[in-house]
Amino acid sequence: MKKYWKLISTTAIIVLSIGTFYVNVALSAEQFPTFVIKTVSGDKAEIKPLVLQGYYEETNSYVSNNLTITTEGSTYMGYTFLDQLIGQPDVMIEELQEEYRGFMRGKTTWIDLFYEDEQYLAYGDVSYKMGSMRLSDFKFDVSLLNKKDVDTNAFTLEVPNGENLEYMSVDSVQLNGNELTLITQNSILKNDEYYDEKHIYTINIDDQAISSHEELYQVTQGDGNTYTNVQLVETSPTNTNEHIILLKTEEEMMEEMESSRTVEMNQEIISYNLVTKERETIDVPELNLEENQLSFFEGSTLYFTKVAEQELVVTPYNLMDEQVGQAITLPLSSDNEEGVQPPMIMVNNGKIYVAESQMNKDLDANVVVADLNTGETLFEGQIALEDSSEEIGNYELYIHEIVLR
Amino acid sequence: MKNYLKLVNFEFNRVVKLFAVLLGITFVAQMAGVFFQSRKYLDQANEQIYELMIPKEQFLADFGQMSFIDVINSLWFLGPIALCAAGVGFYIFLIWYRDWFGKNTFIYRLLMLPTTRLNILYAKLTVILTMTLGLVAFQLIILPIEMMLHKGMVTDEFRLDMSLTEILASTGLNIIIPQSLTQFFIHYGSGIMAVSVLFTAILLERSFKWKGILAGIVYGALAVGVFISPLLLQDLVLDGFFYPIELFVIEIVLVLIVIIVSVWLSGFLLKKKITV
Repeated sequence: MKKYWKLISTTAIIVLSIGTFYVNVALSAEQFPTFVIKTVSGDKAEIKPLVLQGYYEETNSYVSNNLTITTEGSTYMGYTFLDQLIGQPDVMIEELQEEYRGFMRGKTTWIDLFYEDEQYLAYGDVSYKMGSMRLSDFKFDVSLLNKKDVDTNAFTLEVPNGENLEYMSVDSVQLNGNELTLITQNSILKNDEYYDEKHIYTINIDDQAISSHEELYQVTQGDGNTYTNVQLVETSPTNTNEHIILLKTEEEMMEEMESSRTVEMNQEIISYNLVTKERETIDVPELNLEENQLSFFEGSTLYFTKVAEQELVVTPYNLMDEQVGQAITLPLSSDNEEGVQPPMIMVNNGKIYVAESQMNKDLDANVVVADLNTGETLFEGQIALEDSSEEIGNYELYIHEIVLR
Repeated sequence: MKNYLKLVNFEFNRVVKLFAVLLGITFVAQMAGVFFQSRKYLDQANEQIYELMIPKEQFLADFGQMSFIDVINSLWFLGPIALCAAGVGFYIFLIWYRDWFGKNTFIYRLLMLPTTRLNILYAKLTVILTMTLGLVAFQLIILPIEMMLHKGMVTDEFRLDMSLTEILASTGLNIIIPQSLTQFFIHYGSGIMAVSVLFTAILLERSFKWKGILAGIVYGALAVGVFISPLLLQDLVLDGFFYPIELFVIEIVLVLIVIIVSVWLSGFLLKKKITV
């Protein structure tokens, strides 16, 4: 034994020192507070399918983490090495990966690229080659899974006029019958001017060919300080819609002393009928867009929202008969304050789900479910710390996504 | 097993001087680093506050508090670590070549030992690993001591305290002391793979002289190729076919394969081809 003392002591020091360090790491792992949805009134069963995705950060420290809040409480994104490696895709993507592992292989984990209904799961993306100077060789990657007979139909198509493209990304994927519609954002360079365009490509799944292609919008860089952007209005990825709705916003940059801010000049709503391929501008005189925000659309109804006096006023507008429906109000906890993000909204099966998107020591965040037909509030709750006596410093909680399981 | 341990002890005692020197240099240079970096900051604070009459709050707003990270990111601190890394890297070659070119060609005796020749390889591999981990363990032991010195030199209001894990996470030290045990095994597992491949290359050179150098280089390239092939396939051919977790498992299996093949080939060379 005496002969070996150097080796033995060195080994002992290694085991003790490194062992102690990693035991300490495990013991001092960051403890984040647990958030729950506390019932104020109504039926808790209403929020069973609800998943809120958000982000928690402690003020004045580096500590921040993604979390999801459900009726069961909150879970944070782990940050063991394996969690980091796997990342944290959306709840819906995670479920799809579990259920259709083969189909989801190699697909971008981005919810907007998927469409799902009872029978089909569809995916559409754009792939390209990265050159040294620019991107080239733009192709559509399209896959369609028939859930009933587990049959996958996947193919790639050349993007028409792809050689003019600088960049392209898919905003939304819709399936109508055997036609897959991709709404894309294309950037092109013409005569040294950049143009942003919204395009709509209809792909016939049976023929594996593009059956129609239309440019919906072209926006130049604008002159001077005005900018125009065209956004697709959010809808649920599991709904079949006959329309897509675009919101065109013109903004002006106001240069001020030390900063610049953008002022919205005007907004315009454009609806495009996927079946008849008709485009129209929707003008709702009763709902002025400076006060009301177009937040969501489902089926053939647009939902306008405005926050006033601790209430969210939701006004539906029907595209078919062009009528403004009966407005309903939902209780909020905060007023229309400067710098507070507007609430998140989700509509499904005649119910509206609302979650306020910011919470801290002075701000509460309500979670409300209401019946769209009767206007009755079915559930009102608040995001709260599970252990209200828990001593935590200043924090911010942001909710940026509502998902229904 | 007994023979192997005897060999490990013998090899370790041969390197213990170099090991002790590296530990000494590290300790002295890093302690000096804490001292000088703290002095530098304090001198700056004194100059600003007492000579230029800048209020303390203003100084803190402009220059910020001093944290231990400022010490770590100095040459005083990282220099010794780089020196130790270079020392170990150098010794990977020396541990073999000293047996040939040192006094009275020692490799004769080693090869004559009544035990499997693979034990020689295992012993040398173990010693390299022990040395590396010994240096890391020593760094972990002296870090708290250095932090205490830093605490003693810089008063509370000028000092930003962070926990050891936070400090390690925000500096380059997380390469040698990773954030989690999983990563620790990943880092040092790949290290063992690299050393075993280098040993094989050295033995190829010892067996076939000039041709062996070429063979060693080819073998090294081959090992690297095998190791990164899934990553290349994933990006260039299969277009993201594998889920991250699958890729991770494949990589672990490949590392094990490379280590096994290297050990097997080294064993074969030691038994059949080695020339003295």
